[in-house]
Amino acid sequence: MTILAIDPLLDGDLLWTPIIIVALKVLVIFVVGLVGTMFMVWFERKMIAGMQNRVGPNKAGPFGMLQTLADGMKLIFKEGFVPDRADSLVYRLAPFLAFVPAFLVWSVLPLGGDFRDGNGGVVTWFGEETRVQLADPPVGILLVLALSSIAVYGIMLAGWSSGSKYPLLGAVRATAQMVSYEAALGLSLAAVLLAAGTLSTSGIVGAQSSLSDWHIVATGVLPFVIFMIAATAELNRPPFDLVEAEQELVGGFNTEYSAFRFALFFLAEFMNVITMSAVIVTLFLGGPQPIRFGDTTLDIPLINNGLEGTIWFLLKVFVFLYVYVWLRGTLPRLRYDQLMDFGWKVLIPVSLGWFLLLAALRVGDGQDWNAVAVTAVSLGVFAVSYLLFAAATRASERNREGATS
Amino acid sequence: MGQYLPIIVLAVLAALFGVMTLAASHLLAPRRPSDAKEAPYECGIVPSREPPERFPVNFYIVAMLFIMFDIEIIFLYPYAIGRENLGVYGFVAIMIFSVLFFLTFVYEVARGGLDWGPVHRSRDLSADADIVSPERTSASTVRHVGLDGRPAGEEAA
Repeated sequence: MTILAIDPLLDGDLLWTPIIIVALKVLVIFVVGLVGTMFMVWFERKMIAGMQNRVGPNKAGPFGMLQTLADGMKLIFKEGFVPDRADSLVYRLAPFLAFVPAFLVWSVLPLGGDFRDGNGGVVTWFGEETRVQLADPPVGILLVLALSSIAVYGIMLAGWSSGSKYPLLGAVRATAQMVSYEAALGLSLAAVLLAAGTLSTSGIVGAQSSLSDWHIVATGVLPFVIFMIAATAELNRPPFDLVEAEQELVGGFNTEYSAFRFALFFLAEFMNVITMSAVIVTLFLGGPQPIRFGDTTLDIPLINNGLEGTIWFLLKVFVFLYVYVWLRGTLPRLRYDQLMDFGWKVLIPVSLGWFLLLAALRVGDGQDWNAVAVTAVSLGVFAVSYLLFAAATRASERNREGATS
Repeated sequence: MGQYLPIIVLAVLAALFGVMTLAASHLLAPRRPSDAKEAPYECGIVPSREPPERFPVNFYIVAMLFIMFDIEIIFLYPYAIGRENLGVYGFVAIMIFSVLFFLTFVYEVARGGLDWGPVHRSRDLSADADIVSPERTSASTVRHVGLDGRPAGEEAA
């Protein structure tokens, strides 16, 4: 297992070929990240326009594809100033705290490679064995969680340092929301780790060789649903976009930001959509693994297995990108108390309970416990927990009614 | 540490991209500051008070609860990774911790630590049955100017 969590390229002394390969990988990821974000913005605007019976961007470039580039250019030529009530240093630092972590998530995602037959995603480039991912540290997925925590700082500090009331309110809301759903995200992720037994992203992908091993199936769909909802809230995307509820907060935490500092927040937001889709694909849908039932593999002919991984990965990611746009086009925004109630009182207890159930089944498997009995006992425990929880909710409601009347 | 090197390189590159574009913007963009532009944005109204420095205590409670859950998560991950070696002992350990943890959470909920805003009650609409009845349409409640939609006899009046 330990060999999985290491990029063979960086194992041992650093020579010229590895250094050049790493430099190339960094450059490619940097360019693909930026260009991908650009097209994501265009894709979202065009799709939303279609859903709302509008034309959408259609002037800059073919089908308006260069619209984002034009907007970015325009923002460079706009006046970027620091409001006089703002804390200058923090105000300047905050966009970077949002933008850089968004970029770094790319580095641990397996973007392709051959994971078939226990290959572990290793490909050979210029005579060197490596992976189609920038780095494969043993902490893998923890790095993603850590980076999304740092991104919270970007938003919190941006709102706090602006010296204005709407950004502050937006930032406080955003922080509470992101922190709450991060707990749900982390708990549903624990179910995946239980199935995979490793933190390394390439190890997680390697553990999902056939369709029944995909963690969406192996963990019983529920963690996937919770992860998907929590990820949407982490991204501050509709229906969880209370951070920028225009009717209440003007523009939310970035109200006081203008010109390219605003563009950095904007880029970070859309880059996070792409990377979060990629994280979902990696964790639950086998990343670059081809679809495989039992012994038959859905193989794309004429393309070598390493490149085929990238194609599968992109196809799966596109599905989620579309789903995110679709959600935005369809769902109205939640109310703040509904949002917090849903996160704390539904998602978190359910994901914790589900994790414990999976853990019990797994332990029972090794100890020859009867799986039916384990499930029955777990259901009993769930029922008791639910009753306790319902009693608690009723008690708090009674207290509130007493307090208001 | 070599495994983390590419990540650091990418971080530097991303930060450089930000710095370079901001520098370009600094050189290319006009600078015409004015008092109104630099004042806090409040939809055109001149701010009459200092920006708030305090916010509802609920947010602090959420932050504290989050730390609790983070501890739970930190406890669960090593178990999830090392499940094979920990066996029944590890499972019993996380069960005990989770039960204690869940009871604390239930207490917190019962004390109203996660209640937000005013109580939302759905109102009984039977008293307002006249106002919300489906018979009231734009044809029956709005008096139209002109002859459109009026009964035929009213023309003289």
